[in-house]
Amino acid sequence: MSIFEYNGSAIIGMAGKECVAIGSDLRFGVQFQTLATDYQKIYRIHDKLYLGLAGLGTDAQTLAARFKFKHNMYKLREERDIRPSTFGQLVSSTLYEKRFGPYFCSPVVAGLDKDNVPYLCGMDTIGAIETAKDFMVAGTAPDSLYGMCESMFRPDLEPEELFEVLSQCLLAGTDRDALSGWGAIVHVITKDKTNSRTLKGRMD
Amino acid sequence: MVGLGLDLSVLENPSKSAATDAQLDGLSVGVDLGMQSFPLPQVHDLDSFEREVMEYVKPSHGTTTLGFIFQGGVIMAVDSRASMGSYISSQTVKKVIEINPFLLGTMAGGAADCQFWLRNLGTQCRLYELNTGKRITVRAASKLLANTMYSYKGMGLSMGTMVAGWDATGPGLYYVDSDGQRTKGQVFSVGSGSLYAYGVLDQGYKWDLDVETAVELGRRAIYHATFRDAVSGGTVSVYHVTEKGWTKISGTDVGELHYEYYDNPEKHPCNGTQPI
Amino acid sequence: MEYLMGMRCNDFVMLACDTTAVQQIITIKHDEDKLIPIDSHKLMGVAGEPGDRVQFSEFILANIRLYAARNNRELSTSATAHFTRGELATALRKRPYMANLLIAGFDKAGGPSLYWMDYLATMHKMNIAGTGYGSYFVLSMFDKLWRKDLNESEALDLMLKGIDEVKKRLVVAPPSYVIKIIDANGTRTIKTVTDPAVA
Repeated sequence: MSIFEYNGSAIIGMAGKECVAIGSDLRFGVQFQTLATDYQKIYRIHDKLYLGLAGLGTDAQTLAARFKFKHNMYKLREERDIRPSTFGQLVSSTLYEKRFGPYFCSPVVAGLDKDNVPYLCGMDTIGAIETAKDFMVAGTAPDSLYGMCESMFRPDLEPEELFEVLSQCLLAGTDRDALSGWGAIVHVITKDKTNSRTLKGRMD
Repeated sequence: MVGLGLDLSVLENPSKSAATDAQLDGLSVGVDLGMQSFPLPQVHDLDSFEREVMEYVKPSHGTTTLGFIFQGGVIMAVDSRASMGSYISSQTVKKVIEINPFLLGTMAGGAADCQFWLRNLGTQCRLYELNTGKRITVRAASKLLANTMYSYKGMGLSMGTMVAGWDATGPGLYYVDSDGQRTKGQVFSVGSGSLYAYGVLDQGYKWDLDVETAVELGRRAIYHATFRDAVSGGTVSVYHVTEKGWTKISGTDVGELHYEYYDNPEKHPCNGTQPI
Repeated sequence: MEYLMGMRCNDFVMLACDTTAVQQIITIKHDEDKLIPIDSHKLMGVAGEPGDRVQFSEFILANIRLYAARNNRELSTSATAHFTRGELATALRKRPYMANLLIAGFDKAGGPSLYWMDYLATMHKMNIAGTGYGSYFVLSMFDKLWRKDLNESEALDLMLKGIDEVKKRLVVAPPSYVIKIIDANGTRTIKTVTDPAVA
């Protein structure tokens, strides 16, 4: 079993019209043992920027703490919130710092940039950025998640439709993965506010 | 042993190699079905070849099955998930195999091994009935299966099964596996989720259970196993065996069952430590 | 095989742990307390390799007490857990401590809390938590019987049921256990379970 599959996770980021959404499952497990169903893998950086961390749980927690620290320092220096695209670069270089002993995490960055243009990117464990205009997935069920997203995604969705599409993709995708699921949480970021909702899913 | 009504094969040394021609004697088909021949692959190192092959032929590795005898008969309950690694290949596998109207077998381990050898057991039991004019006992049926398993020991079969039923002596429940182990018992659980099922089963089991409570106990034990064990899930099927034979009591989707037991997520201990 | 379980309810946290010290195939001691008191309202249950277990828990204990002495205030349970996680995570990429832990505490502000942590330093706050093979049998039982509003004696009954189950089903079940509780009044031992053969 791969180290990426030790804890289990599923994350989708999806862009809409002047809005962006990011969702993850809620399972926390150790290999095939489920230990909790309220484990959040998406971290809020600021009002218009969220970071999803899939992969090994311990590294995700370490990274989440480091990014929180880095953003606090950035805010003290610059007296403003970090731009999503800048944050993407920050995540990338932070991961590359550990080029020869990487964090076993694949991040998904979702946020609203200047003029509320959606910013979405994903990375491998050592920080190779892949930006996307449509959707980005990470976790233990990428095949099923990509399949769902490819067939369900349409460009320029309104926030409510975006929520619906992302939720369906996430729930259906994780239903074929033993290591993720057990409910989900979806954040829809719009120019005025972020709407966070939990989804009921199969609990097996 | 040419075509007599009596089965004297138990007196012989159980054959380690299944492929001996002597046992293909057409007349003794009634007693020797368990010893049918499968060609062995023509390779130098059979062991490592078999090990490699097993990587391709082991779906249905995640499973939870249970069976117990109580005052009102036998309860058997199973999940319905088949997985290959962490991929869920099916949520609708039939893991209770109906051998005949009075006998049930459960499936854990290799799906093909279980399906084939329990069907084979059905054939052997039917031939026994035709030969003797009597229904086979659970004891005899499970022994036929165990003998078959023992004759293939070391050749890579993977099967953990419970044979349950009702005969002249009353309810019967046996555990049989591909190592050749066979044992009679009152409460068994087999599969990757069996440890979780035992936790619930032991806590609720009593001989005096009424049928409704017993059925619910079986269902509940499987449900809790599907929650904790990632590779168990799908639906919970419950069977009840009485002197009239078996009946299927229910087949419930775990997706719905969870919210029946825990209508409010706060009630479940795995939830609600971090309010969202 | 080591057994460590924890349960959090409305007004208290309860921890159960075996009390055996093992050396290869020999049990060298039957009253080893692996539920280590951090301060008056906190316990750390540690299961893992004997050397790592003691070294790590003493290190954490010393630092948390140092903090309390320097700042004249005690760390909250959450802060204790996060500090411990940080140390374990740092060690993970140098020389890992092979220790799984449960950190339980009662804070005036936040009430009872229970943190689960494995040797990789993955941490999560839980209502019921356990480590080792024993947890396989007991977690499902607790899933069914746990309620937020269990009182002390009901929770103790449930803990004892868990120990009985382990003794019944686990081939390598330890013979002796201790159960401790933390509530507003602090930590105390409420029960020891000992096989007559080792008493």
